[in-house]
Amino acid sequence: MEWNAEGVRAQLAAAGAPGILSVDPFDGAAARVRFSPESASALFPVLRDALGFTHLSTVGGIDWVERYEVFYLLWSDAAKRYLLLSADLDAKTPHIETASTVWPSANWHEREAWELVGIGFDHHPDLRHLLMPDGYSFHPLQRSFKLHEPEDLEVKVRHV
Amino acid sequence: MVTNDVSFVEIETLRSREFLPAAKEALGSMIKEQGESKLIRPVFNWAGRNSLFPLHWGLACCAIEFAAAFGARWDAERFGVVPRSSPRQCDLLIVNGTVTWKVAHKLIALYEQMPEPKWVIAMGNCATGGGPFRTAYSVVPGVDKLVPVDVYIAGCPPRPEALLDGILRLEALIRERGA
Repeated sequence: MEWNAEGVRAQLAAAGAPGILSVDPFDGAAARVRFSPESASALFPVLRDALGFTHLSTVGGIDWVERYEVFYLLWSDAAKRYLLLSADLDAKTPHIETASTVWPSANWHEREAWELVGIGFDHHPDLRHLLMPDGYSFHPLQRSFKLHEPEDLEVKVRHV
Repeated sequence: MVTNDVSFVEIETLRSREFLPAAKEALGSMIKEQGESKLIRPVFNWAGRNSLFPLHWGLACCAIEFAAAFGARWDAERFGVVPRSSPRQCDLLIVNGTVTWKVAHKLIALYEQMPEPKWVIAMGNCATGGGPFRTAYSVVPGVDKLVPVDVYIAGCPPRPEALLDGILRLEALIRERGA
């Protein structure tokens, strides 16, 4: 099978992957696939079991102001290929089903994405702070986050 | 001045398990005769300021200079400064690096585990005022927001000479202010 947008699209359709919105053209490195966040819990097992993407390298989030984006970088040991999954989330309450039930390595990555960007991961087993102290009340990589004056930050975080 | 039953010659012949009771008795009788403030305080001040034991705790790149200060070239031990690994054995906390909010309450716990009297040196720009990370979301802008600081050492990082100078200034401070 050819490793280009057409080939990836055909492969996804043959495996019956649900919720695929588009496959962007790519230059040979990582296939870039957009999917709808509602079908996440159905799509992840298909990608792992039918298509062989057994390893989840990273999970991240981006605040694009009018929407949030969450992305997953998958690796297939058999095919030696990367697959970049991404989904657009609602700007008001960004949330998506957790991937940690399918790839256990998603656990800490999702904790980090929740903590820094503020994306909620439904049914996550342990959505606690990872890099910041417990009780830290803001998500510093959101665009609306202002670099506070140190005194402001002190008052807010002091009694953690 | 030997004012009790144990003479100096006897002290030299004591077994180690007999030393502490004998020393306690000798000190007790000295305090009774001379008064605490007149004799014991200056002795303790002199002993304390010349044997500052810092906590062996490295946070960031300043810890490299901290380590170098105790190496052969600068040899801070000639001033009686010996890093110890337990806060229970320390009377000096050298904060050598960037303090994040995540580690802040652990720093406070270490400080509170140290016995009185105790002192704090903020080593380098990060510990002094947050350094280049002052406005960052994760960094404490100066360790004096968490614990009382006695001596600030500027530099990024300060050289071992600067650390030794800070320790000597702290010794002068203890001599002036009393423990």
